[in-house]
Amino acid sequence: MLFASRFLPPNTHLWPQGCTLTWLCYNVRAMVTKRQLGIVVVTLSFLAILGITAVDFIGAGKWSGFGPLQRVGIGLSLAAIAVGCILVRLGDRPA
Amino acid sequence: MTPTLSRIFRGLGAALALLAVLVYVGYLIVYVVYAVDLFRWPFDYDQGEGFELYDAILYSQGEWPYRDNAVYPFYASNYPPLFHLLIVPLFPVFGQGVIAGRIVSFTATLVIGGAIFVVVRRKVGGGLIPLVSGLAFFASNYVYQIGPLCRMHLTMVMFETLAIAFIAEFEHPRHGRRNLILGLLMLLCAGYTKQMAVFTVVAALSYVFLRDVKRAIAAGVVLLAVTGTIFWLLNVSTEGQWWVNTIQANVNEFDYRQTVFLFGQWFQLHTVFVLLAAGHLVYELFWDRLSAYSLWFFFSLGAGALSGKWGAGFGYFTTAVAAACLTSGLALGRLRKVGCRPKIAGRRVPVAGPALLAILVPVLYLLQAPRMLHIPTTGPVLGSLARVLGVDDTLIEGDCTTFQYHDTMGYTQLGHLLTAGDYAVGEEILNYVRTADGPALSEEAMFSLLVDEPVVTNPTQLLNLYKNNLLDTTGIVERINRQEFGVVIFRAQFYPQPVLEAIGQNYRPVEHLCMNGFYYHILWPHRRLVGHPEFSDEPRDLVHASFPAR
Repeated sequence: MLFASRFLPPNTHLWPQGCTLTWLCYNVRAMVTKRQLGIVVVTLSFLAILGITAVDFIGAGKWSGFGPLQRVGIGLSLAAIAVGCILVRLGDRPA
Repeated sequence: MTPTLSRIFRGLGAALALLAVLVYVGYLIVYVVYAVDLFRWPFDYDQGEGFELYDAILYSQGEWPYRDNAVYPFYASNYPPLFHLLIVPLFPVFGQGVIAGRIVSFTATLVIGGAIFVVVRRKVGGGLIPLVSGLAFFASNYVYQIGPLCRMHLTMVMFETLAIAFIAEFEHPRHGRRNLILGLLMLLCAGYTKQMAVFTVVAALSYVFLRDVKRAIAAGVVLLAVTGTIFWLLNVSTEGQWWVNTIQANVNEFDYRQTVFLFGQWFQLHTVFVLLAAGHLVYELFWDRLSAYSLWFFFSLGAGALSGKWGAGFGYFTTAVAAACLTSGLALGRLRKVGCRPKIAGRRVPVAGPALLAILVPVLYLLQAPRMLHIPTTGPVLGSLARVLGVDDTLIEGDCTTFQYHDTMGYTQLGHLLTAGDYAVGEEILNYVRTADGPALSEEAMFSLLVDEPVVTNPTQLLNLYKNNLLDTTGIVERINRQEFGVVIFRAQFYPQPVLEAIGQNYRPVEHLCMNGFYYHILWPHRRLVGHPEFSDEPRDLVHASFPAR
């Protein structure tokens, strides 16, 4: 709970408030913060890099280096990770 | 800065602003001249226009254009229906001609430019920035070339622009709910105009998600439910042909080098707008809150990334052009606001911000303007203007002729004006269709539509399906082998290989005609040529020879 609260905006309720059809573990008017956006960007970028590199290893022993499209993808993902890290540092400001 | 110097700067800024407005109004005039020239042209200017018109004609007759391509007339549409449905009400006014679709598309571009103007004016105020932001859209080489065509792409961009304009105001204290509903409706319309609108859908819902998670999820669920219901109904009504023709057939080969080239070209042509929009995105990402417009600009690059698909091209960047024009206007507005009230170390510093910005803003627009230069170089007005600009001797090499047209893109197939010779050759091709003793197998639909003949095949759709192993060519090959088609008209020859082979075995070229810079190859069935005294291996002008009556 304490770990989760580091990433959630202030006044977030972890339990549903009132009888709503869709309840989330957020305050219903919560906005996404820059930190949360950064975490999502970093996570998706890591997954993209994993996916790009895993493609070559599906056929075991056939790796012949990254192709140009893969290099572009990895480059963009690394840049996105840098952006995401900066956003994480910006904390609870609304995204 | 002294008051005198400030007055001089402001005067200079006003003069530069007027010049900038004149330049961009000039682009609008060139665009209108080109559009009017196209409105008069009854044939396909760009391959595919006639098929979009034919889809509209089928809707007006209460028929679906999503059909089994293995069955005569081997025709189906690969696009959603909304653009075609928008053309139908114009038939009573303009007739069932391609002008109806061109007017819909041209009007859509006017709406886009107007929407950009309104949004920027509301956010930024003033006159110069909103006006030039709206006019800049028409100044884009990409918009100029495809704006007045009977193609659905810019109609999709119109719905996307309106969607973003509404969604951006979903938190309005009085009209927020209305804006959200209208925005979702515009997204639905965009998606059912062309599938690529998915990037704008993601941009819009992402914006709502960042601001109000619950409303974003609710909006997404509703949009998905409505979209899915319509999708299901279309698929059921067309016995599955909707899915085959609009989804499966559009999975094509991808060439990343085409994407890289087009990204570079897009940036080169729209440099100032792109840099301003990108700067605005970066500013909002780190120092402010992300707006719907910046998110739209970011996600529109995803549409550009798909431009490497076979059959795609620079048109995939028109959403990004609209987003860049709009967001760059917001960026300049923000710059103007900061420049008027600068602070250093928390203290307001008296500087010449307003006076300098009065010059900087029009200078940026004037720096951008020549990067997009495109102008026909003939005619008393445009020819004279081209001479003044020093581009009057530019020629673009087509397949079989040169175009008197200048474009900073370099070689283009579009954008030039048509000539009297083009009209004459068009009539010659029509005469081949009229005098044929069977339906025409034409790579462009207008040759069949103009003589009230059935439209047979949508070649690129057949090729798409064939490449995805979704087409049985037996039926069409059998008909070709029986030489049932009275004439075959080729241009790019985008047909499946078995079809091309069958045509090669049963039809022979009789003439090659140059129209609108392209060779049109006229082929007759062997049965019509056997024993003909003028038949030889060389294509001859047989159109004026006497033939057995049909």
